[in-house]
Amino acid sequence: MSLELVVFAIASGLAIVSALAMVVVKTPVKSVISLVLTFFALAVLSVLLSAPFIAALQVIVYAGAILVLFLFVVMLLNLTQEAEGHDERPIQRLLGLVSVVALGGLLLGVTLKAGAPPVPAAGGPIANVKDEIPILGRLLFSDHLLAFEALSVLLLLAAVGALILSKRRFD
Amino acid sequence: MSDATFIVVAAIAKILLIWAIALAALLPNLVWAERRGAGMIQDRPGPNRVGPFGLFQAVADVIKLFMKEDVTPTYVDRFIYNLAPWITMMPALVTFAVIPFGAPLDVTIGGVTRHVPLIIADVNIGILYIFAFASLGVYGIVLAGWSSNNKYSMMGGLRASAQIISYELSMGFAAASTFLVAGSLRLPAVVEWQQTHVWNVVPQFVGFLIFLIAVFAETNRLPFDLAEAEAELVAGFHTEYSAFKFGMFFMGEYANIIAASGLVVTLYFGGWSLPGVAFTGVWGALASIAVFFAKTLMFIALFIWVRWTLPRFRYDQLMDLGWKVLLPLSFFHLIVVAAFVAAK
Repeated sequence: MSLELVVFAIASGLAIVSALAMVVVKTPVKSVISLVLTFFALAVLSVLLSAPFIAALQVIVYAGAILVLFLFVVMLLNLTQEAEGHDERPIQRLLGLVSVVALGGLLLGVTLKAGAPPVPAAGGPIANVKDEIPILGRLLFSDHLLAFEALSVLLLLAAVGALILSKRRFD
Repeated sequence: MSDATFIVVAAIAKILLIWAIALAALLPNLVWAERRGAGMIQDRPGPNRVGPFGLFQAVADVIKLFMKEDVTPTYVDRFIYNLAPWITMMPALVTFAVIPFGAPLDVTIGGVTRHVPLIIADVNIGILYIFAFASLGVYGIVLAGWSSNNKYSMMGGLRASAQIISYELSMGFAAASTFLVAGSLRLPAVVEWQQTHVWNVVPQFVGFLIFLIAVFAETNRLPFDLAEAEAELVAGFHTEYSAFKFGMFFMGEYANIIAASGLVVTLYFGGWSLPGVAFTGVWGALASIAVFFAKTLMFIALFIWVRWTLPRFRYDQLMDLGWKVLLPLSFFHLIVVAAFVAAK
């Protein structure tokens, strides 16, 4: 067994366990921590796929910024325990279960049918490149420029929308 | 010795060297320097009884922290409470992996000469790696505050999380300018550029100021130590910690100062290089290591100087400075630098 396989087993195991813990754990703060762990494990998987840039972004943006914000909100609202008592959303739970099973089955079926992934050709665009960041940057600002700009407008809209919603409540 | 063995041995040697200098030699003396410096600034002797000039005070303090009773309050969340101090230590320990600390060295063993760059891991993502771990370090403080189950600690943790998010952006944008001119995210490339051109602090003085202020905020040092703020929050996020666990927060703060000073030196003050000096051979490499740590020590001295000189910010002032002054300024700075790079 190669070292790579050992790291892969640990990282993917951690990702699955912490993702489950995120949903199952009763304390909201612990859910957030489990999600941080999940993102960290996914970043390790990205490194294994020779994409350290994606891994770094994953940790900086998700684990380092967005989830700190989550934690901040959870702590600010002082959510210590999930509300106990009777199940208020029985239909939603059932629908959720059905869609989880359907999506899982679909993914499993596709994965099993696809077989082993093709080995990338030796002369591909990313292969044997020492520094992949300039290539990524160039692609982002040439081939995918429209999608990139559309995304930034979408983010701006979300920010403005949040501002308007919160302002309306105070007025 | 095969290539693979050599790389592993060299990496372990470099890690041991950097930890020996930064953690074993600098860290304890830094605590002493801070207390003596505080004494000097406040016109009092400071700790001067243990050993010559009180130099062994740090040893005595560490022994005291080990020997004290470790009190765990009843209503804490045990798992997270015990985990938090370790998270605080982590970023400082891993940051040095991508900072070049000396001139490259040629080593000859058994007739084979190999080029050894004095950096533990020369990865493409360089600075992003540091930012990634620095942004995880905040969890130590936030979780310590939350798990203590104490309203003062909680306030400290909340403040820390908001503060670090606010200043992370300015820090990133200021640092990005140095990478724009160097044309790579690798820290050795930034040092090389400064070696052949000019130290970044000259053309990017504004960027340097933004970065320095943000670093003070990110390391939770005065005037930005609102997570502790003993006048209002007892001791903030580590009120409930004692003995060795408190010592870890304490050491973590100083380890972070060392790492942050090393980063400032690398980005803005030429790292291990000196203008007009070529470091070659073993002695050259040793001299460059000495230069790097001498520069780092200057910034550590600045950290101490500022702490005992400036009063603490009020919280709204802190947020105003971060979002309304530093962030727009760092955007503007980045655009100006980018324009210059594009014009060339």
